[in-house]
Amino acid sequence: MATTASTDAVPGFRGTYFGRIKNAIISIMEGMSVTLGYLLQRPITIQYPDRTPKPVKDTLPERYRGILELDMKTCTACLACERACPIGCIKIEVVKDKETKKRYITRFDIDIAKCMYCGLCVDPCPGGAIRHTNEFEGSTSDVQYLVRRFVPPGERIEPAKPKKKEKEEAGAEGS
Amino acid sequence: MTEFITEEMTLNMGPQHPSTHGVLRFQLTSDGEVIHSVKPDVGYLHRSIEKIAEKVTYHGFMPYTDRVDYVAAMNSNFAWALTVEKLGGYQVPERAEYLRVIAAELNRISSHLIMLGVMAMDIGAVTPFPYFLRERETINDLLEELCGARLTYNYIRIGGVSSDLPDGFRDRALRFLDHFEPIIDEFNRLITYNEIFVNRLANIVIIPREQAIAWALVGPNLRASGVKWDLRKDEPYSIYPQVEFDIPVGKGEVGTVGDCFDRFIVRVDEMRESSKIIRQCLDKMPEGEIQSKLPRQLKPPKGEVYVRSESARGEMGYYLVSNGGLNPERVKIRTGSFSAMAIMEEVSKGIMIADMVALISSLDVIAPEIDR
Repeated sequence: MATTASTDAVPGFRGTYFGRIKNAIISIMEGMSVTLGYLLQRPITIQYPDRTPKPVKDTLPERYRGILELDMKTCTACLACERACPIGCIKIEVVKDKETKKRYITRFDIDIAKCMYCGLCVDPCPGGAIRHTNEFEGSTSDVQYLVRRFVPPGERIEPAKPKKKEKEEAGAEGS
Repeated sequence: MTEFITEEMTLNMGPQHPSTHGVLRFQLTSDGEVIHSVKPDVGYLHRSIEKIAEKVTYHGFMPYTDRVDYVAAMNSNFAWALTVEKLGGYQVPERAEYLRVIAAELNRISSHLIMLGVMAMDIGAVTPFPYFLRERETINDLLEELCGARLTYNYIRIGGVSSDLPDGFRDRALRFLDHFEPIIDEFNRLITYNEIFVNRLANIVIIPREQAIAWALVGPNLRASGVKWDLRKDEPYSIYPQVEFDIPVGKGEVGTVGDCFDRFIVRVDEMRESSKIIRQCLDKMPEGEIQSKLPRQLKPPKGEVYVRSESARGEMGYYLVSNGGLNPERVKIRTGSFSAMAIMEEVSKGIMIADMVALISSLDVIAPEIDR
């Protein structure tokens, strides 16, 4: 089977020698006319970060999946986000006080360095406590600063009471 | 006079080489400029995605499918969702099907734009690349509005999609298409029919019809060899049977059918068809649900299934074995770039090194897709 195209198998396939030179000049001129059309237009590129008219953060769409944020006031400690996360970048610890039989969150860490911003943790959250922000500039001098601790070490926070409907949903997930 | 001794030279192209599109190595044996044999060495970007699938849930594997082919992540998402839905028999609301196709076709356009721009740049024309990227930027903005991410979308969910169209999306998408369709003609004037560009591509590395089929080329590479085979038409899934579009095939416009130029022009034509599909979908889209009710902890029944779909780089197939548990038992991914890599060794005998650069970019390989 003739599969290869060796160099001598390519004769002058489009016209004569001079015809091809003419074609080359015409088609280059045509390409130039396209680029010339853009010469007088305003450039579409912008210089990031200091020359943007307003911060890039404010121009992002509403659904932008940036760094995760948690509202501790609405978190019910149902652990749905921890279970949904494919890489396990969310770590939640809940303790039960034996006397009062109340649950307390002692740890809620999100490792932003591991997070891949997939948004799978936001979907199952019953109260909308965990959500993506528009924040995307997260560079720090040390990788450990990228672990966002929403419960200060040594403290314990009482989780919000789930509404009735949410409670059922949260219960169904655990099964 | 001493005898002039020549010997073959072994040359490494890659792993760091601008024209290998990722980390990919070719071992060339060449006699001066003419290549005697090419051995593709793949595996530098192996991230064991198939193994990861065995450790995560069915929903949880979706973000990883983004990373299989990051240039056309939406199509990759789509294929995985189709696979799990087929195995579990899950229903998808009609509106979600339309949303999926709109997103997938937008992504197909942006993927082809990258390929065309990069191919022109590999050949030596640097100017077109920013022009192609400018259009891709608008698509990225549209998809960012839709799902919140620009590259690793994770938009399609098993049994639906993650979010409905945002306000004004339809108008913005139509405005983009109105602007984009004439731009394709402008691209053709800018680069496609440029005499130097044509001479660099026409009659270079012809892959005839029989050979393309025998080596299991897929997608646009196969169609460039004159085979009218598109899974969207021939094995229709989702709502593709309800939309009208043509399948562009290589015609040998300036050389022979199946040359590098055909592989280029087929993708240019495919962008027009994709834009036709998006228009129809935006018009026909019904109101309704976007996600069917499925349990959070998905447990498809025991069994195995292979589903293929048409990605931007050809056939993307997922072979899935389920043991009835929370995680898949085994996932095997078949991708278009891998088939394209297989044919490299066969077709690149006797070509020039500079033509091999044209061949690699015309096959549109994405290194992470070869290795997974």
